[in-house]
Amino acid sequence: MTTTYSSGVAGSRPPASDVLLEIRDLRTHFHVMDGVVKAVDGVSFGIRQGETLGVVGESGCGKSVTALTIMRLLDTPPAEIDPDSEIWFNGRNLLTLSEEQMRAVRGNDIAMIFQEPMTSLNPVYTVGDQIAEAVSLHQRLSPKAAWEKAVDSLKAVGINTPERRAKQYPHELSGGMRQRVMIAMALSCDPKLLIADEPTTARDVTNQAQILELIRKVQDETGAALMLITHDLGVVAETVKDVVVMYAGRVVETGTVDDVLMSPKHPYTEGLIASIPSKEKRGERLNVIRGTVPNPFNMPVGCNFAPRCPYRFGPCADHDPRIEDASPPDVACWLYTPAPGSPVPPRTRARSTGSTT
Amino acid sequence: MSKYIIRRVIGLIPLLFGIILVSFFLMKLAPGGPQAQFNQNPRVTEAQIDVWLKRWCLERESTPLSVIREFGGWLGVYNCTTESLLSESGGLNFLPAALGGGDNGILHGDLGLSIKAGRPVTDMITERIPATLLLTITALVIWVFLAVVLGVIAAVKRYSVFDQTLTFFSYVFYSLPTFWLGLMFIFVFAVLLRWLPPQGIVTPREWPPFNSENYWAAFGAAPLDAILDIGKHMILPVLVLVLVSIAADSRFVRASMLETLNQDYVRTARAKGLPKRKVYMKHAFRNAMLPVVTNVGLELPFLFSGAIVTETIFSWQGMGLLFITGVNDRDYFILMGLILITSTLVVVFNLVADVVYAVVDPRIRYD
Amino acid sequence: MSEYNRALEPTAQPAPRVAAAEEEGGGGGDYEVSLESLNQWQLAWRRFKRHRLALIGAGVLLVMVSMAILGPIIWPYDPTRIPGVSQPGGDPPTLESFDRIFGTDFGGRSVLQFIVVGARISVAVGFFTALIATTIGVTIGALAGYFGGRVDNVLMRFVDLLLAIPFLFVILVAARFFGGGDPVTLILIFGLLSWPGLSRLVRALFLSLREADFVQAARAVGVSDLRITFRHILPNTLGPVVVSSTLILANAIVLEAFVSFLNFGIRATDVSWGNALSNSKGFLLQGNWWWPFFPGMVLAMTVIAVNFLGDGLRDALDPRSKES
Repeated sequence: MTTTYSSGVAGSRPPASDVLLEIRDLRTHFHVMDGVVKAVDGVSFGIRQGETLGVVGESGCGKSVTALTIMRLLDTPPAEIDPDSEIWFNGRNLLTLSEEQMRAVRGNDIAMIFQEPMTSLNPVYTVGDQIAEAVSLHQRLSPKAAWEKAVDSLKAVGINTPERRAKQYPHELSGGMRQRVMIAMALSCDPKLLIADEPTTARDVTNQAQILELIRKVQDETGAALMLITHDLGVVAETVKDVVVMYAGRVVETGTVDDVLMSPKHPYTEGLIASIPSKEKRGERLNVIRGTVPNPFNMPVGCNFAPRCPYRFGPCADHDPRIEDASPPDVACWLYTPAPGSPVPPRTRARSTGSTT
Repeated sequence: MSKYIIRRVIGLIPLLFGIILVSFFLMKLAPGGPQAQFNQNPRVTEAQIDVWLKRWCLERESTPLSVIREFGGWLGVYNCTTESLLSESGGLNFLPAALGGGDNGILHGDLGLSIKAGRPVTDMITERIPATLLLTITALVIWVFLAVVLGVIAAVKRYSVFDQTLTFFSYVFYSLPTFWLGLMFIFVFAVLLRWLPPQGIVTPREWPPFNSENYWAAFGAAPLDAILDIGKHMILPVLVLVLVSIAADSRFVRASMLETLNQDYVRTARAKGLPKRKVYMKHAFRNAMLPVVTNVGLELPFLFSGAIVTETIFSWQGMGLLFITGVNDRDYFILMGLILITSTLVVVFNLVADVVYAVVDPRIRYD
Repeated sequence: MSEYNRALEPTAQPAPRVAAAEEEGGGGGDYEVSLESLNQWQLAWRRFKRHRLALIGAGVLLVMVSMAILGPIIWPYDPTRIPGVSQPGGDPPTLESFDRIFGTDFGGRSVLQFIVVGARISVAVGFFTALIATTIGVTIGALAGYFGGRVDNVLMRFVDLLLAIPFLFVILVAARFFGGGDPVTLILIFGLLSWPGLSRLVRALFLSLREADFVQAARAVGVSDLRITFRHILPNTLGPVVVSSTLILANAIVLEAFVSFLNFGIRATDVSWGNALSNSKGFLLQGNWWWPFFPGMVLAMTVIAVNFLGDGLRDALDPRSKES
């Protein structure tokens, strides 16, 4: 079960010990020539030990930036992380660690699988070298032992003849193979948290299924928690237990996959689900969410989604709904939140479309 | 690997032949031809001119056939003494002399005779090669090393004071005319401050002319003094070459390094927990150097052009100065020889750059 | 400074779309993103204006060009008039008389006048060389890139050959044998020899643009080859070509100066910035620094100005660069 936290309440105290990762009111802004891009603007969520969480949203919604902020891989400047933001991992606030301490976390406690296996592997070193590098760094093994560990992890991700493959360069491997190498690299140091950023986006459907299956399998075997970032609700449905929906730098809805997919609350989530093509809808016109993500330099004053929202009413244009004000606090929408100045939630929305999956 | 090199070398043959053709026709197209120098001289008879032309394997008329014969003579396929494709000993002329071939033409290492000096061009050029290579290779090593160091630092510390200072100076030095910079350095360091000699390779009167037999004897007697003396003379010309070349190249290295630093695999390396330094030096650096290797290879022709400039300004007795003298004297064979040799060196250096590239980049296939 | 943009890559921010919210009418109108709609030239000009160094460069060039046009008219140069000097090697700069503000050469001729009058030939050599070389380079590069195959092979082997031969060697030989001190011939020589690098660039751009999606799309809807070339490909090569041309321009000005400095360039009866300092080296050793210094400074300033301008144009003409 995901939990939402009101900012400041739990301030600076580590979360319960079974919570592996807890993000509190994360704000990551980019300072560029044309102004400030609020890529992540007040995001809070958490993952318990060994659990799986999907982070869903359109490209540009801030999900990848969130991941990179957790890893502290963004260059500052241009990025700026709000000093009041907190990222608790295993009892420590990552944002207060020194670069030295953070390095010991990266690759060791938290490992990341990137979207583009083609460009994410260094073309001038063998894949074995690149895996062994992380192993010898974090586990202080001899080069030979590190190499053997690298071969083992290649084997673990189902690569045949791992001894031979380890000596090959990335360009000598197929795309699916490279993605397996990325997973092997992430696993090589037995991380507690695995962040997979769109691991299947560049793959075809068969391949996609295999890679997801593999990620689930290794996650299960190693007991690591998984944070899966994707724009694809189908992927989420098959792979994770909980889900966080992001829109324009905010979390707009959280819950278990079943709840969110079967009975979405936020109009955006509803729109996302409605826009998935399915057998039942064959021949019908596909539902799409009108309009596009707002200009990052020119965010709406009220609810970010209001310009595209079919249920837009009174407070939406001028007031920003906050997820922690909703009851229960799992959706950022005025439909579920007492309107500003009134103590009662406006109404229970009349569903016209119903459940679509 | 060796297969790859052999394939590349074979691929160069048409290019080398093209260079030979161009250097020949550049001279052939010049108005008047070499005998033009006698036009103003009434005491030279037509018969004398014929003898003179024959000695240089040239012909008076300019028919397609005569041009082909002249080219054949220069290339070493045609023998001007026997006026056939056969040598004096009766073998095919293009074969090595030991196999009954002739001894004229490029194929036999003969680039003709200097019109002015009457000496074999091959000898005259060979004498000057050490001086030019000493200057250019020293400059090349220093500038590539510095450009890489400065460019990488500038990329890693992007927008820092260091980066901006480097940017400023590269703009300035990139734009300064080389020959003018040389003149100004001579004025400041040799005339005004008297720290360094204004020109030459060795101090005249203290040392015999560079690369002469006497010189090497004197060199053997006091090698340390000799090296110091040359070193003193080298500082200004090398400095000029280094400053103007570093300006462009450090920008190139910086751009390449920045490009690499933005690659996904650099992020992967950092996500592994590697220290920044190692990420830069191991993962980014090697990839960033790939285009730099190619670029240095492409810049080599400018090395010789740069040598012409610095050698004339600093009266450095190398191939560049020989070339300028040759242009002044309209000494055709020296010019043909120099263009041929420098172009060939460029082609060979380019090949070396390609091979280096293939060694550093595993994606290049050898077969 | 597009590096700032690149730092944003992980987010893959979609480019702000103009008036995107209008798509289905009604609803989102309140939040419609209103950006002024500008055509690409207006946008380019806007970006260029923000490039301070480029504006300075353009200003300096404007001065040089006006000097090139007006210089010989307002201050006619007479090569036979040698006023004489009060000290051997030439008189040093003095503020007492206007024409000796930069000193004189060994014959007492004003260095300032060399600069003012010499601008015409120097600037003309730079400009027309760039024009000729760009025309040839773009044509050859476009032919090779567009047709590919054998045409490409032949043209590019020829370019390889020209690039292998040290440029300055050929320039000097040609200037000496064919030049005869005439500026027009010199321009032709420079122009005919300066294009190979540019043609290679244009070819590479053509090769990649030929496969670009928008060209494929144009082809798919049946646009003719000629129209694709002129309407879709050439305009996209504009930025890099302009930058390359400004480099050729700057190089040609320096080249003219060097060739003339060696006395192989412009004849002694004309003045260019190069031949203004052609005999100065001997006197330099006697301490006569002003003679080569001032023409060289003007030369350097012009080149810096051209390079700044080129940088500004590159940023302005590259539709992907968002900030100056």
